[in-house]
Amino acid sequence: MAFVNELATPIVMGILLGGLYAVVALGLSLVFGVVKEINIAHGDLVVLGSYFGYVAMTVFGIDPILSLLIGMPVLFGIGFMIQKYLLNRAFRVSMDAVLIIAFGLSIILENIFLKVWTPMSRGLTTPYALSSFSIGSIRFPLVYFLDFIVAIIVMILLREFLKRTYLGIAIRAAAQDRKAAHLMGINTARVYAFTFAISMVIAAIGGVFLGLTFPFTPVSGMSFLIIALGVVVLGGLGSIAGTFVGGILFGLAQTVGGHFFGLAAQMLVAYTMVLVVLALIPRGIFGR
Amino acid sequence: MRLTILRPRGGLTPTIVVIVALALLPVIGVPRIWFLYIFLFFIYLAMANMWNLLSGYSGLVSLCPAAFVGLGGYTLAIMTWLGLPYYAGIILGSITAALFAMLISIPVFRLKGIYFAIGTLVVPEILRFAFLLWKPVGGAIHGRGAGYTVKGVAGLSQAQVYWFALAIGIASIFLMRYILRSRLGRGLAAIRDNESTAASCGINVFNLKLYSFVISAFITGMAGTILYIYQGYIEPASAFNVRWLITIMLATVIGGIGTEEGPIVGTIIVVFLYFVLAKYAEISLIIQGVILIGIMLLAPRGIMGIIRETPSYRFMLQWVTRC
Repeated sequence: MAFVNELATPIVMGILLGGLYAVVALGLSLVFGVVKEINIAHGDLVVLGSYFGYVAMTVFGIDPILSLLIGMPVLFGIGFMIQKYLLNRAFRVSMDAVLIIAFGLSIILENIFLKVWTPMSRGLTTPYALSSFSIGSIRFPLVYFLDFIVAIIVMILLREFLKRTYLGIAIRAAAQDRKAAHLMGINTARVYAFTFAISMVIAAIGGVFLGLTFPFTPVSGMSFLIIALGVVVLGGLGSIAGTFVGGILFGLAQTVGGHFFGLAAQMLVAYTMVLVVLALIPRGIFGR
Repeated sequence: MRLTILRPRGGLTPTIVVIVALALLPVIGVPRIWFLYIFLFFIYLAMANMWNLLSGYSGLVSLCPAAFVGLGGYTLAIMTWLGLPYYAGIILGSITAALFAMLISIPVFRLKGIYFAIGTLVVPEILRFAFLLWKPVGGAIHGRGAGYTVKGVAGLSQAQVYWFALAIGIASIFLMRYILRSRLGRGLAAIRDNESTAASCGINVFNLKLYSFVISAFITGMAGTILYIYQGYIEPASAFNVRWLITIMLATVIGGIGTEEGPIVGTIIVVFLYFVLAKYAEISLIIQGVILIGIMLLAPRGIMGIIRETPSYRFMLQWVTRC
């Protein structure tokens, strides 16, 4: 019984954390599903969201979650520009060009963060970020719970958006068959730009909640990218429900792995799981 | 149709003259700072050539050269700690990198394209975490993680290490020439042009890609060991750093992906760029990122791609190869 009790904390923590990871991965998954490109700069764009919240909090004294009201449109604009002026052009060259250009973007962003905010580790430390609550005998940080709620809200909103709005239907059409969508009068280049912009809005949300949960540095983008890739690989590329399950599995691998092998090894366990899944079930759990 | 192979004037003589001249550089005594940059040029050249083999000729955009560099370096350090001489470390380091490439080909070769990029991106990070935790041989740990000094290389002069680098750099050029003209290279060219046609013509697509991946890992690992003989110290954060990838990718992209001369031209420019930007370390990488994106958008075939289109290049080629 003591064993079960001991394991209860990492399991619940892992599931709650999984929600956060799903939000971080959702943007990546969306762009992959529609545009068929892996955005190597996704992690750094998430960190951009975190720094946006940090600036809003330290310079203007706005609560990081409230600052999303400005942060989301700003990242929407940035994302639209990136897809329209960089990646859509790279498409005409080759898929490898898209990968290399996104990598270049990631280098630029990382070093701008380093220059502006120094290599120091930052965090969005609000009063509620430090408070906790308890279920039975287990205590949880409040932010973990917030992460999970936000994940569910974001996923439902995205699902409804893709189902009910004109743009959402256009995005799904472009994802299924680019040429046919084009022939139906959909401007696919524009749809791609909107898709990327929406993925950046989700990245902004993910960035702020990551900042509330963990400290971040200018080079955190790489580990966030790998987390997102791991989640997407686990859940199968391009499916919302799959991303959610993938996020929870990844969160569980991290916390339960940390429980058995020590905190220092928790990311090692989670990353290794990504490679093992690639080797055994390459299309993920929900992959088609 | 008879296939005419263009051979430069005077056979191998000009090539040999250039190599001998480069080999004599430490003897005639060039400034120390130049020496470092020329040394780095050969190391990067070998790595860029191997990256070009993967991305330009095999259709595999590999994001994990750092894994091979770091593994080569670590094997070298561990072997010297176990009392083996450094040259055994070089050979074992390269073999370790090649074996590791075979091992990770199981997950990363499962599906095409995107999955290869994902798999290879995760590998250096895993290794970095592993080497931060794992302490292979006893001895001093410096700071966080397992940092090791490379033993038994104190007797080597700078000139000797330079000659190693020269050898691997030149060897990588000849290896590329050889591979591209061999069955492997012609098979890869067929795959590049049309994968399904190549497969239906009896070319084993999987095996050829695996061969080029393993060869690339072997040479990249060897270049890594030589670099760490020069540095004399290895630790996980720098060994498995993404900077390797940035340098190698930039050199190949500037010179021209999928051209034989591309990495040579590109590496010269990248090393020169490092020399110029050494004073502005903070913005150096921002500039490199901008160059990477700019070249990819404006001239995706790089400098050699542009030069090859000009009439004067053809004229020069005719002049050089006239018998």
